[in-house]
Amino acid sequence: MADRYLQVVEPSDNVATALRELEAGETVTVAVGDEERTIEVQEDVIFGHKIAVEDIASGETITKYGKSIGNATEDIPAGTWVHVQNVESNYGRGDLAGDKETAAVSE
Amino acid sequence: MSEFLGYERDDGSVGIRNHVAIISTAPYANDTVKRAADIIDGAVPITHPLGRCQTKPDVFQTYRTLLGYGTHPNVYGTVVVAHAGEIVDGDELAADVAETGRPSDSVNIHAEKGVMNALKRTVDSARDMVQEASAQRRVPADMSNLTFGINCATSDTTSGLCQHKATARAVWRLIDEHGGRGCFAETPEFFGGENELSERAVNDEVRDEILERVDNWDKRLQATGYDVRGAQPTPDNMDGGLTTIEEKSLGALVKSGDGPIQDIIDYGAKIPDDSGMYIMDTPGHGAESVTGIGAGGAHFMVISTGQGHTLSNAIMPTIKITGNPGSAERVPEQTDVDVSEALVGDETFDWAGDQLWDEIEKVVNGQVTLSEAMGESQFAIHRIGPST
Repeated sequence: MADRYLQVVEPSDNVATALRELEAGETVTVAVGDEERTIEVQEDVIFGHKIAVEDIASGETITKYGKSIGNATEDIPAGTWVHVQNVESNYGRGDLAGDKETAAVSE
Repeated sequence: MSEFLGYERDDGSVGIRNHVAIISTAPYANDTVKRAADIIDGAVPITHPLGRCQTKPDVFQTYRTLLGYGTHPNVYGTVVVAHAGEIVDGDELAADVAETGRPSDSVNIHAEKGVMNALKRTVDSARDMVQEASAQRRVPADMSNLTFGINCATSDTTSGLCQHKATARAVWRLIDEHGGRGCFAETPEFFGGENELSERAVNDEVRDEILERVDNWDKRLQATGYDVRGAQPTPDNMDGGLTTIEEKSLGALVKSGDGPIQDIIDYGAKIPDDSGMYIMDTPGHGAESVTGIGAGGAHFMVISTGQGHTLSNAIMPTIKITGNPGSAERVPEQTDVDVSEALVGDETFDWAGDQLWDEIEKVVNGQVTLSEAMGESQFAIHRIGPST
């Protein structure tokens, strides 16, 4: 039976929110829509943080609430802690604004 | 219950508190305001660093915000304290407050020949108003008078999964069953969910306005030249598991439910009288956002929090709700309503909404919130451009 402390909001999501502490090496069952997936936890995850419920390739969209919450900055295997170390946002990116302008000028 | 016991005002509004506000128009009047409020029990000081050397849009925003507090439904009367001649004019502000039928007085430190005389005048005036206010009795009023302010603070991943669902149920209960109003804000916290939000607008004009204001915030942030991360989400959000502003936003929008949006209004502007849900265009900065919603005339504020927050307002009582099971234990003074049993226990989100509604009924009828009992309050007007 799926672990109720691992919550996936929408069936299209590729991350679950941990509502308990997860330990590296434990095997968990996650409900993703009607499907149940068995995943090995790759690293410790504290309350409220997220784990990948499928393999996510670098650059792919991280999906929660059925919508993009950013892109993977590296390959994220299922069971890996998903947070600021491996995801970047697409809004408020003043650090990229200059690049965008340069790209626009060169087009 | 479709009625509550409130204080009737001459302008037709009904308050849930009967405060006397002492409002500073410039930083150089702040000390006099604070000292007078220290002396007079029942007077609320409103101080800030603005009101001078500001460009027109900021002067207008500062004035509108201060006037919103002077004429708030929860305010019985107001004493305005100015330093000298300033671009935010004390006499004008006091006159605009008086137009709503409230007792209003204006004190100018220079005109009084110094702070001691000004302090005496402020204390005398506030004392008389506090005594008059204490003689006023609560009377039955329809709940359609009420405006429900919504804000989040120290959000974490429990916010969108639990407590925001309770807040959404309670605010739509006020709107749908009682004909009241709701107002949420924090425009940069729509990033990632703005398209779905804008589709809830009652017409194309409001839809386009929502999208334009969200885009303006993204442009303002990009113009800094920096990645917004660290400012949004904040370090406390990230500790709580929120990874990006998009994730924070999608969770934040849950507190507004899914009903129609009547309009998006300017920072500090009066929330319209017609029943329904409104957006105020504010930053995600909690103190600035809550101050703006208070200026708009919301009677009370529900702060839906993940890990607990001191955020509160002196004029508009704030009710803190959390669904994080550890927060009530870690920060008890910042938890009026704990609905974590709906997240990690066996309760439903309808139960959570009822818990919040029960607390709201008590607070609008006079029960003080934890932050009111603790004397916690912050006041911060959002600044648009540079000082000069």
